Amino acid sequence: MPMDFATFLTQINDALNAENGPNLAYLLRPTSPHGKDLVKGFRSPTPATLAHFKGSIMSPWDEIAIQYVLICTHIARLRPGEAFKEQSQLVSLFFRYFIENRGWTLPALFSILRDLRDLAHDADWHAKVHNEPSECMVDAARTVAKAFSNCMTDRTSPPDESRKWGVYYVVGLAMKSYFKVRRISLTKNIIKVLENNADIPALELYPRSHQVTYRYYIGMLSFLNEEYAKAEQELTLAFYHCHIGAHENQARILAYLMPLRILRGHLPSDELMHRFPVLADIFAPFIAAIRKGDIAAFDRALELREARLIELNLLLTLEKARELCVRGLFRRVWVSSAKGTRIPLSMFHCALRISGIKDVEVEEAECLVANMIYKGYMRGYISHEKQMVVLASTNAFPRLADRMAPFALM
Amino acid sequence: MSADSWPPQLKDWVAKCLGQMTDMNRTEAQAELRQVIADAFAAHTLWTTDWAGVQLKALLPQPQPQFNTANLKPTKNSPANKKVKKALKNNTSFDPDDRAALDKRAQRFQREHQIEREKSRLGAQGSLQANYNTSHLFDANSRSASPFGQSDDPEADPNVMDWDRHTIVGTSKEIFKDYLRLTTEPKPEQIRPYPVLQQTLLELKKRFREKTPYNWICSQFKSLRQDLTVQRIKNEFTVQVYEIHGRIALECSDMVEYNQCQATLKTLYDLGIPGRVEEFTAYRILMLLHGRNRSELNLYVGQLTPKLKADSAVQHALKVQRALAMGNYHALFALYSSSPNMGAYIMDHFVARERAKALMVITKAYKTIPLSFIHQELAFEGIGQAREFLTEHSAAYFTNPGSSDDQKTLDCKPASAQLNQTFESKYRKVLIKGAI
Repeated sequence: MPMDFATFLTQINDALNAENGPNLAYLLRPTSPHGKDLVKGFRSPTPATLAHFKGSIMSPWDEIAIQYVLICTHIARLRPGEAFKEQSQLVSLFFRYFIENRGWTLPALFSILRDLRDLAHDADWHAKVHNEPSECMVDAARTVAKAFSNCMTDRTSPPDESRKWGVYYVVGLAMKSYFKVRRISLTKNIIKVLENNADIPALELYPRSHQVTYRYYIGMLSFLNEEYAKAEQELTLAFYHCHIGAHENQARILAYLMPLRILRGHLPSDELMHRFPVLADIFAPFIAAIRKGDIAAFDRALELREARLIELNLLLTLEKARELCVRGLFRRVWVSSAKGTRIPLSMFHCALRISGIKDVEVEEAECLVANMIYKGYMRGYISHEKQMVVLASTNAFPRLADRMAPFALM
Repeated sequence: MSADSWPPQLKDWVAKCLGQMTDMNRTEAQAELRQVIADAFAAHTLWTTDWAGVQLKALLPQPQPQFNTANLKPTKNSPANKKVKKALKNNTSFDPDDRAALDKRAQRFQREHQIEREKSRLGAQGSLQANYNTSHLFDANSRSASPFGQSDDPEADPNVMDWDRHTIVGTSKEIFKDYLRLTTEPKPEQIRPYPVLQQTLLELKKRFREKTPYNWICSQFKSLRQDLTVQRIKNEFTVQVYEIHGRIALECSDMVEYNQCQATLKTLYDLGIPGRVEEFTAYRILMLLHGRNRSELNLYVGQLTPKLKADSAVQHALKVQRALAMGNYHALFALYSSSPNMGAYIMDHFVARERAKALMVITKAYKTIPLSFIHQELAFEGIGQAREFLTEHSAAYFTNPGSSDDQKTLDCKPASAQLNQTFESKYRKVLIKGAI
């Protein structure tokens, strides 16, 4: 039987009395079946025609219910911009109730915030197609940030029923929105608040899905700030805790974890690449170039994939893996000169030129060798006067994975 | 968003607004205040907004019916009259004895009449009219001198601030004016109109060439920028003013002012106003490299259009980024010596750090190295400077300290240990002043 508005109000009321968060979330979701019923029930509802329902149940739920009808109507009529506006209104009405109640309301909060984000995405997309300006995602991020502080500021609920149990989920959503609009610097504020508040429960106690999302973003932010050791730690944890069925999420995590491992000299196995063809598509040419010590091929791969790498914020980090190529090339020079301990600088210079690096001067080759020694790729020293590289008699090119503190010298 | 990271100007402004609130308008005004700050925060304009010039709508004096009829004498049934009635109906909490509000309002109308007069006077001069039509990027006609000009528009959203009402046109004829941060609404008699400002820029350029002290020049540029802001002039001239001040600030290594100029220039370029976009894009990349702001750099490099990337100055900046990422000091210092425009002035701020870094590599990779090599490879101006640099970093260990500079050879092992220490204490943190 199609649901009418009166039943809808009663069901909301029941869910509130029973403190049933999941049910409340279901009732407020525009994709739930009763959404369509309500749209059909009203011909073309406007705030004015629905105004007489105000006061029918406890405030602000009368208004929230009205908003819900408006949202479903806008969605049915394919007006994502308007739907987003009404959803924002719904969320701020919900906040009024939320801040005076305990953690059982969190499922509803999560649900309406996710709908808000989805609608913002649709609205911005719709506007973009029609060549109109639209900043819904920015607004959505602002609302999510408000939800974050509404969760953080719960000082009255008992610990197990605190709204603080919503913190990490909401932070995950906020990060997603900030990254979407490329305002990454705004994430710093949220992280600062989290770090300065010791009274929220330990991350390990939250649902795993919240942990994984949070660690993923912290890992990625550290990655972008070139704090590689921390990035590797967080991303590794995120990867191992990620649900095994969430293949796409695993791929997202690996997109940042893999370059970090590569920088440390651990090249991914063929089996791993096979499991993630998307990643193989991005990284395979770089890995092949590193294996061969082919600098020109590495540079070509960078150029060819530039747009994609920039989109993923990977370009500047992957660029650094070029030195692994240089190391491979120099090792080949050493092998072909019978692994001698004295190799003229000019040999390395020639090797660079043969491998397709044009306009490289001998001084630049000298600088590259110096960097190789400094970063632990080669063992030995340069004699500038004799223009000679003197290599250690044993282990002149240590295994990549054996380098000490590889990230510290990046 | 903690209050610690607010610009002092914003703090002052908030304090001022809080002071002006009354019990009647407190809730509304506070909500608006929060919204304005949140918006500025989201738009990254916390540091670039001239807060003193921002007016909260909730703190405006309330419309006052008796006053209107007395001063403006609107004809019966005129749109203005309707508005007055509406205002009267809505405004039940109005206090007719609020003398201060009345006075303030009277002053405001006075000023608006003046603007009207000024406008018609300037309009009569014909040639200047063009400037007034082009001087505002947004529709110049929307700037109405009448306080009721906009309010009858049926589409007008009562929740949207009508900034046009606060735009003024100055009347001052003084070419020079010292900068003073506005703490009240700007007075037109102290603001210079567009034609005078154009004169001002010409004069300032001349004075700068004549080696007038930077402090004075800077203050003049700031007041020039302020006059542009309060009159909402956003055009090629505005871009030019900011570009010139930016360059002068670079030359005088005033990074605070430079960063302000750069931030404003970015928004002006984003509005589509033409200028030396390529030159300043290159500066921005170099600044990001200086600040080691990796995540921002990644985003910014990603946004560059192919046309921008093809420019030689931008190319140079990107090559600098590559050389830095690779630790390729040879390429880096070659690029330093061949910087286009004023890029070297920005690189000046991080060459010391990069020289120290390069020396760490060198002292690890060589056993001994001639001072002359360091001099040339790290682009020191003279061999003496190279020696001084080593001394400053407590790394001046020579195998032959008695010889002349061009014969000296650095003893790398002891120097290396010292350099690592000095680097930690000297360069680990970058101090960036002002917003980027």
